Amino acid sequence: MLALDPILEGPLLWTPLFIIIGKVLFIFVVGLVATMFMVWYERKVVSGMQNRIGPNKAGPFGMLQTLADGIKSFFKEDLLPTRADRIVFRLAPFLAFVPAFLLWAVIPLGGDFSNGNDGTVTWFGHVTRVQLADPPVGILWVLAMSSIGVYGIMLAGWSSGSKYPLLGSVRASAQMISYEAALGLSLAAVLLSSGTLSTAGIVAGQNSLVDWNVISTGIVPFVIFLIAVTAELNRPPFDLVEAEQELVGGFNTEYSGIRFALFFLSEFMNVVTMSAIMVTLFLGGPQPLFDIPVIPGALEGTIWFLVKLFAFLYLFVWLRATLPRLRYDQLMDLGWKVLIPISLGWFLLLAALREFSPDGDAAESLRVVVISFVVAVIATGLFAAALKVSARNRAAANQPADNTGVTV
Amino acid sequence: MSDATFLEFVVFFSAAVMILGGAVGVITMKNPVHAALGLVLTLFGVAVQFVAMQAHFLAAVQVIVYAGAIVVLFLFVIMLLGVDESMDLSIEPIPIQRPLAAVMAVGLVGLVGAAIVRARDALIIAPGDGIATAADAGTHDANIKQLATNLYGDHVFAFQLTSVLLIVAVAGTVLLTRKWPKDVADTESSDA
Amino acid sequence: MSQYLPIVVLFILAVLFGVLSFAASRLLAPRRPSIAKEAPYECGIVPSREPPERFPVSFYIVAMLFIMFDIEIIFLYPYAVSHTALGTYGFLAILAFSVVFFATFVYEVARGGLDWGPLQRGRTFTVDAAMVSPERTMTSTIRRVGTDGRLPAPGTEEAA
Repeated sequence: MLALDPILEGPLLWTPLFIIIGKVLFIFVVGLVATMFMVWYERKVVSGMQNRIGPNKAGPFGMLQTLADGIKSFFKEDLLPTRADRIVFRLAPFLAFVPAFLLWAVIPLGGDFSNGNDGTVTWFGHVTRVQLADPPVGILWVLAMSSIGVYGIMLAGWSSGSKYPLLGSVRASAQMISYEAALGLSLAAVLLSSGTLSTAGIVAGQNSLVDWNVISTGIVPFVIFLIAVTAELNRPPFDLVEAEQELVGGFNTEYSGIRFALFFLSEFMNVVTMSAIMVTLFLGGPQPLFDIPVIPGALEGTIWFLVKLFAFLYLFVWLRATLPRLRYDQLMDLGWKVLIPISLGWFLLLAALREFSPDGDAAESLRVVVISFVVAVIATGLFAAALKVSARNRAAANQPADNTGVTV
Repeated sequence: MSDATFLEFVVFFSAAVMILGGAVGVITMKNPVHAALGLVLTLFGVAVQFVAMQAHFLAAVQVIVYAGAIVVLFLFVIMLLGVDESMDLSIEPIPIQRPLAAVMAVGLVGLVGAAIVRARDALIIAPGDGIATAADAGTHDANIKQLATNLYGDHVFAFQLTSVLLIVAVAGTVLLTRKWPKDVADTESSDA
Repeated sequence: MSQYLPIVVLFILAVLFGVLSFAASRLLAPRRPSIAKEAPYECGIVPSREPPERFPVSFYIVAMLFIMFDIEIIFLYPYAVSHTALGTYGFLAILAFSVVFFATFVYEVARGGLDWGPLQRGRTFTVDAAMVSPERTMTSTIRRVGTDGRLPAPGTEEAA
């Protein structure tokens, strides 16, 4: 059992205090730099996939393009629309980007977790973790922050007093809460195999490749989590929130200048942090696949973490370049009628396996799987019947209107 | 006053300010959306108080369920009905409700006061006895494990009843918002 | 409680960053508001319609159902974390809860609570066939107006 971050348990002396402040500043800078990098990376990779060059003027390979854009936004006029709700309009950018920053707090960014080490490092004679904080709520912090992030988008659209932002924000909030349910259910599968809420504990439990949660929970929760995160981030193919062809720019249409820049910042920072959370939950965070020689253990963890993080960042860009946008009813059907039932069923299957075949005995496992399969077939039949009833009712409700030629 | 108690005092005081400020905001704001935001502030204050009382899991649930789901529902309803404009508070739709509300508020304050006075002696728990804590207190999961033992052991019947409560809520939602096709046909024929 | 101290510091830093950005923008950015700039965005035309006052009831149903699922999920977490200690009894409790919950969900789906958008009908083949028939050409589907005095489009014989 992992204890809490040791540096915060003892009396607060000057050295630990400086370490904490150093960590906070470091996380802050890392957050901003990672976001700037992500914007550049996305533009560069997408342009490569679309046979273009992409940003190439500011700095080497155009790497300073985001910085240039950011500085530019300081010099742009910051409009307050006449119909806007003045207080909420100013508040909304904060509600979007402060939670995005706070998500960094619980991610283990490094440390030596190999061979059963607990991932602590010693800095200036004090034992601590390579993560900002390890609060007792652990991974629930992520859910809490993402549920606050909904407010930023919802209120931004509402307070603009304009039709496209309002439509975009209502769509966005319904989409985000729908997929948050699938997200939470697949997270429950991870907790089942880890047995702890602590992010450091979840990483420490994924000791070898077969212990990585992506494998030990049987890939399905990982896939559902990935889809749900993509929807939660409003990334393509789930970017109905800012469907340019329908809604101009979505919830942030009326925002300009630095306020828009803050929304933009939080959007891309969320991409990075959510990728990092997926790495932590499913791919073992800083856990190494193999030992890199020469480099010390703690630094090695960071390297592995970054390698895994990049895989996800590339995946998100790849999805954007490849997949067309879903229709809204398809989006909702996927979330509610596919992902949620599957993730709930999978959680129960994993729980049954752990309960009735705790040591992985083949015969016992097979029995559990067979029974679960039968139950799943019955549940699917029931669900299919429900879908059929609903479709028939809808057709019946629409029928008279069609016959008389009245449009409903 | 030692440092630790001073810190606790600061946390308690700021959380109390959040709770009360939010609550006053809820009833004085003329715009329903602003009032809902005041409610969010109150809920956050309560979450901070939970953290101060070492109820970490409850604090997380407070934010996830109340702020993340229930107030979002409130906001949806406000947007759904198009009532997100400032209201004239001087109009009283149901004549007797304001005096009634005053009477109930006084009654509630009286009840809470009486409860505090009665429970003041009973609630003093000597350190060591009183509420049992999980064996691994001081780690992350003491809270949630203790809750699990209570929920799935001692109070499993209440837990199952919660699912019945949820059924009622879902059935109510469906009944209020959707019609059977027969009803649709009826209303259409009566319209024609 | 001190475990949250770094988070509080990060929170203050993030808010400070936002406030300072706004302050810097206020100093650096021009302020030349005009009625046209501050009008709601309408792709360049004068806004004629008010923003929608009411939304489909489906959004409300989704928010309501989300509360149910949130509560269900919150109940799953304690079981997931300490399932070894709870044993078979705990599993049966969570199973019974989930079965009731699933039945509710099925009822909701059957009543059409999660139906979105217009009814999707499978497109008939005959409609498709009409759409791609060879009779539909550039001259038969597009009505040309105001072509007086212009040169005939290349390849068309019957131009005025």
